Amino acid sequence: MSIIQSFPLVIILVLLITAFMMPLIKNTKIIKGISLVSMTSVMILALINLDFVHKNGEYLYRIGHFNAPYGIEFRIGIIEAMMGLLFTFVALMIIWYSIYSIEKEIKQSKIGLYYLLVNILIGSLLGVVYSNDLFNCFVFIEVGTLASCGTIIVKDKKENIKATLKYLIMSCLGSGLVLMGIAYLYSMTGHLNINYIHAELVKCYLIYPNAVLISIVLFIIGLGVKSAMFPLHNWLPDAHSSAPSSSSAILSSLVLKAFVLLLIKILYGVFGMDILNHFSVLNIVLILGSLGMIMGSVFAIFQKNIKRVIAYSTVAQMGYIFLGIGLGTNLGVSIAIFHIIGHAVTKSALFLLAGAMIEQTGHKSLAQLKGIGREMPLTLGLFSIGALSMIGIPVLPGFISKWHLSLASIAAGDTILIVVILLSSLLNAVYYSPIVINGFFGEENLQGKVYKSKSKPLKELMPVIFLVISMIYVGIASRGIINLISLGLM
Amino acid sequence: MEGLMNNYYETGSIILFGIGFAILLLHNNLIKKIIGMNIMDTAVFLFFIAKGYVSGKDAPIIIGAHKGVQGYINPVPSALMLTGIVVAVSTTAFALALTVRIYEGYGSIELDEIIKMRSD
Repeated sequence: MSIIQSFPLVIILVLLITAFMMPLIKNTKIIKGISLVSMTSVMILALINLDFVHKNGEYLYRIGHFNAPYGIEFRIGIIEAMMGLLFTFVALMIIWYSIYSIEKEIKQSKIGLYYLLVNILIGSLLGVVYSNDLFNCFVFIEVGTLASCGTIIVKDKKENIKATLKYLIMSCLGSGLVLMGIAYLYSMTGHLNINYIHAELVKCYLIYPNAVLISIVLFIIGLGVKSAMFPLHNWLPDAHSSAPSSSSAILSSLVLKAFVLLLIKILYGVFGMDILNHFSVLNIVLILGSLGMIMGSVFAIFQKNIKRVIAYSTVAQMGYIFLGIGLGTNLGVSIAIFHIIGHAVTKSALFLLAGAMIEQTGHKSLAQLKGIGREMPLTLGLFSIGALSMIGIPVLPGFISKWHLSLASIAAGDTILIVVILLSSLLNAVYYSPIVINGFFGEENLQGKVYKSKSKPLKELMPVIFLVISMIYVGIASRGIINLISLGLM
Repeated sequence: MEGLMNNYYETGSIILFGIGFAILLLHNNLIKKIIGMNIMDTAVFLFFIAKGYVSGKDAPIIIGAHKGVQGYINPVPSALMLTGIVVAVSTTAFALALTVRIYEGYGSIELDEIIKMRSD
């Protein structure tokens, strides 16, 4: 057994151990240093692990020297390794950005706790991604939920507390449903390991059709609440818009994605195509996904606050991912996973840039951010590239996933979905382009604005520039990435 | 109907789950919501532990002689639910702490009143 195989476990351990070192240290500079160093080292480990998995194929890693049905297992395939790299990279960029600006949003005394929560959050999300054991996933989900509530409430304003409570109640609802789903699966199969459950379930699903159907629906709704599936998204705009910008970026780009990935793992790993086709439950996901794509954008048009616009845009973008899952074809799921990657790098950049605008001008509403392009040209320029990707301009990842989703829906025979995708793109343009156009152009908008008067120093924008570069890279290298994902799905 | 009566543990736990779920969704009082959340979690614990019980067998604790695998109930669900209880306790504690802060901030723990306050 190669030492590289144990890197996923080392990644989680490094994150959790360094997290609990932070409250012992008083000096905030050292805390930030520990946070950066731990995340960088973890990213390097994830990169080496991805390279290893790419060369040698997927492997199972047992934890605690008990073999599979009794002990906990990690399953590291190409997708898991890619997600490990993506999560650690995006988290590193967000932490790098937050180092310069976090004092402006939260109290000095809370900084140690904030970085503690971020490290625990990333560790638990990676646990959800790597683990092959359903109950272990559940525990990581709960740890992640509490930590993400913590990163919202750390700002300690009245509306934060309200948003956090709403988020906590909805999440508890979701995790209660997930636990019940696990209970059903355990009572039918007697296993908690995904591979073993699948092997048993394929043999016996015709004996307990109702119980299997109920457990599928419990998982879809439970994880749908947590990953903002359309009618269950109402906690998201409050939570994501009131949190500090760096937390919003983590919540929107990573936290939701881990739960979607778990849903993909459960639907296609635990149940498998035969059972899903037998009950035709994927249509629910498909319809809710398409509704979310349209309604999320419609809600976003009516928002006045820039962070709420981006938060509702997240609801719409999650719709694309659910659409890909709901198509039920190999291509559809690969595009859903590709969209997870593209959306994670784009949305984190957008949230950080919106945070930078709010921080420098002190205004949150769109009306007061007109003419921002003259005061902060680089910030709005980067924002425009992200917005173009969301709208779907060629080469950028947003376009690639829309294009392939259309192809996948033609292949699946649902041509009506192309209309939904086109409509959703147009609606995206309706709410993103006014931000950019009113920012750069218009006589009355630019009146009295001094060129570059409020721009952030270049070094503070470097992490966002890296995110935008990686976004463009994801777009250019999309063919290779999608091939790799579909290889991993086999 | 007979199936429901034979599996009365499961039936009871599903009814409890429904009660907890309804309280969590429908009540406006935050304390009641948290109680509903606890009832829901407890229902899942009951369900799991009932699944692990084999009638007439001992708890999986070895006193004196080891009776062999057949002598004990399935210990896995009980062990899982220990973790589940820890998780439930921590979320409850966190939710209660948030409720205290909400009361300090808004002077009320009725969710509909709090939502109205923002629109004023």
